[in-house]
Amino acid sequence: MLLLQLVINGLQLGAIYALTAVGFSLIFGATKVFHVAHGAAFTIAAYLFWWTSAVLHMPWPVAALIAVLAAVLFGLFMERFVYRPIQRHEGAFFTVFIAAFGVQIIVQNLVGTIFGRGFVSVTTSLSRSVEVMPGLFVAPIAAISIVVAIIVFTVLTYYLTRTHTGMAMRALSENPDLIRVFGLDPARVAQYAFAIGSAIVVPGAIFTAMTAGLNPAVGAHVMLISLAATIVGGIGSLRGAACGGLLLGLAENLALWRLDPQWSEAVTFVVLFLFIIFRPAGFFGRPHGAK
Amino acid sequence: MHITRLLAVLAAVCLGAAGAAAQDTIKIGADLPMSGPNAEYGELFGAAANLAAEHANADKMLSKKLVIQFEDSQATPQQGVVAMNKLVNVEKVPYVLSAFTGVSKAIAPVGDKAKVVSVNGGGIGPDLAELGDYFWNVIPLVNLEIRVMAPYLVQERGFKKIALVYVDDPAGEAIQKELKENVPKAGGQMVAELQVPRNAQQFTSIAAKVRESSPDLVFIASFGAQQAQIVKQLRDNGVPQQLASYSAFASPTVTQLPEAKGALFPSQSVDWKAAGMSERVAKDWKAKTNKEPNAYVANYYNAVMVFVKLAQALEKSGQPITGENLLKQRRANGTFDLVGGKMEFLPNGSVSMPIQINEIDGAGGGKLIKAGTMAK
Repeated sequence: MLLLQLVINGLQLGAIYALTAVGFSLIFGATKVFHVAHGAAFTIAAYLFWWTSAVLHMPWPVAALIAVLAAVLFGLFMERFVYRPIQRHEGAFFTVFIAAFGVQIIVQNLVGTIFGRGFVSVTTSLSRSVEVMPGLFVAPIAAISIVVAIIVFTVLTYYLTRTHTGMAMRALSENPDLIRVFGLDPARVAQYAFAIGSAIVVPGAIFTAMTAGLNPAVGAHVMLISLAATIVGGIGSLRGAACGGLLLGLAENLALWRLDPQWSEAVTFVVLFLFIIFRPAGFFGRPHGAK
Repeated sequence: MHITRLLAVLAAVCLGAAGAAAQDTIKIGADLPMSGPNAEYGELFGAAANLAAEHANADKMLSKKLVIQFEDSQATPQQGVVAMNKLVNVEKVPYVLSAFTGVSKAIAPVGDKAKVVSVNGGGIGPDLAELGDYFWNVIPLVNLEIRVMAPYLVQERGFKKIALVYVDDPAGEAIQKELKENVPKAGGQMVAELQVPRNAQQFTSIAAKVRESSPDLVFIASFGAQQAQIVKQLRDNGVPQQLASYSAFASPTVTQLPEAKGALFPSQSVDWKAAGMSERVAKDWKAKTNKEPNAYVANYYNAVMVFVKLAQALEKSGQPITGENLLKQRRANGTFDLVGGKMEFLPNGSVSMPIQINEIDGAGGGKLIKAGTMAK
C-alpha cells in the first residue's frame, strides 16, 4: 500500500513540477532566454492568490485571474525591460542569467517585505486527504492537479501545432527572419512566449499554496526542479519538460520506498546526473549537432 | 581645480562626521537571518534586541548611544561566517548576537580567535555549551527541554509510541539524540525517526511513513517555514495524532497555523506580569507589534541587556569595552536581573532555567499547561 501511496503522491507533485517546467521550457525553446526569474513569476502568482483568496476573501476564480494577470505582466516586464535591452547591447548568456537571478532575489525580498517572511498557506478542504482504501489517503487536489496538467499540456500542444502564432513561436529560435516573411513580428512572438509561459506557472503556484504552503524563497526551489526537469526532458521540448517534471516528482516520492527520507531530493539530482551522462539530450531533445 | 578642492573638503567633512558619529556610539553586532526561509526569526530576534537597545538608551545606562549593526546570516553557516568576519574585522564590535545551532557553531571559532563574545538566544544544540569561553548562551539548550518534555509526554500524557520527523541539521540531530536517550528512559518507544533535508518542502510521503509507524505522538524537530509545512502536510495527509516539538514552535508561523492547534512545546518560564523589566518589555512589545511576547523576545532582549550591564560595570571601573573584559566582568558579576527573573551563567557560558510546557491555543499563541520545572 505504501508503494501505491508514494506513486499517487509522486504523480501529484510531478504534475506541479511539469506545469512549472513546461512554462520555462516554452520560453527557453522559443526565445533562447534562460529565464531563471521564472521562479519569481511562481512566487508572485502564489502569493497574490493567497493574499486575494485567504486574506481578502475574494472568490477563487477572481483570485486565480489576478494571479494569472500578475504572472503574465511580470513575464512581459522581464522580456521588455530586462532581457530585450541586454540582448540589444550584447546579449551575453551570462549577463541574461545574472540579470534574471538578480530579479529573482529582488522579488523574493519584496514579497517578504510586503507579505511577511513567515509561512503562509491557503486552507481548503481540497488538500485534506480521505482514506479511499485501508492505508491509502488521497486528497481531491491530487486528482485536480493531474487533470489540470493534462488539460494545460493538451491545449498548449494544440496552440503550438495548429495556430499561426504557435507555429511562429516554435520557429522563433531557429529562424526569426522566416517569421518576418510571414508578416509576424519576432519581438511580438517572443512576448507571446513570455506571456503564455508565465501564465502556465499559475496552476502549479495555486496548488502549492494549497498543499505545501509558501514562503518568499519558494520560487528558488521550484526553479531548481524546473531546470532539472527541462534538462531531463530535453531542452526546448515541451513534451520532454512535462515528462521530466513527472519523472522527478515520482522519483522524489518513490525514493522513500526503500531509502531514508533525506535521500528523496538527492534522488532527483541522481536522475539528472544519469541523464546528463547517459542521455545528455534528455527524453525528447535532439542530440548536439543534429540538424 | 576648485571642484577637486571642494570635493576633497566635502569628503573630509563627511569622513569626519562619520568618525564623530562612530565615536558617539557603542556598537554591538547581530549575525541573524534577514533573508531566506528563516528571515522571520531574524525579524523577531532583531526587534527584541532593538527594544533592549531602545530601553538602554532611554535610561542612559551607558555613556554613549548603543547601536546594533545587523548582518545577514541567512541561517546558513557559510553566510554566518562571512557576516561574523565583517562584524569582527571591519566593524570591530566586541559582542555579537547569534542564532541557529549550525550558524553558532560555525562562527564560534571566529569569535574565539578575535576574543569577541558571541551570544546565542535561538540555537538549541547541546554542544553550543562547549564552544569556548567567548561563546555564551542565554537560552536553555535542547537537552534541558527534552529532559522535561520526554517524561511529561510519556508518563503524564501516556504517549508511549513516538515518531520523530527531524531536519538534517545539527539542531535536528541533537534533538534526535536526546529523544532516543530520554524517551526509553521515561518508558516510551521511538517507533520512527525520519530525517528530512533542510530545504525539503514536500512531506506528503513522510506523512505516509509516519502513518505506517502508528505512533501515539509525532515529534517535529525542524525550524522556520519548514516546521509549519510539516505540520500542515501531516494534518492534510491523514496524521491526526498529537503533535509536539521543542521551543521553535513558539514561532508565530506555527502558533498562527490552524493545523497546529493543540500541539505541545516547551519553553523557558517567563512571567511577563512580574513587576519591573518583564512587565515593561511585555507592555512595550505589545505596543510595538500588537502581539504577546514569547521566549525568543526575552532571550534577545536579555542578550543585549547582559552586554549593557557588563559594559556599564566596565565604564564605571574605567576599563575599555572589549570581548576580553566583558568575559572577565561576566565571571565577576555572577547573576543578572533580567526578563524572567535572575539569570546565572554556568561556568561553560550557558544558563539553566525552569522549563514550562505550552499548548498552541488556536488563537495565535501558546497557553501554559504545565508550570516551569528544572531539568533533571
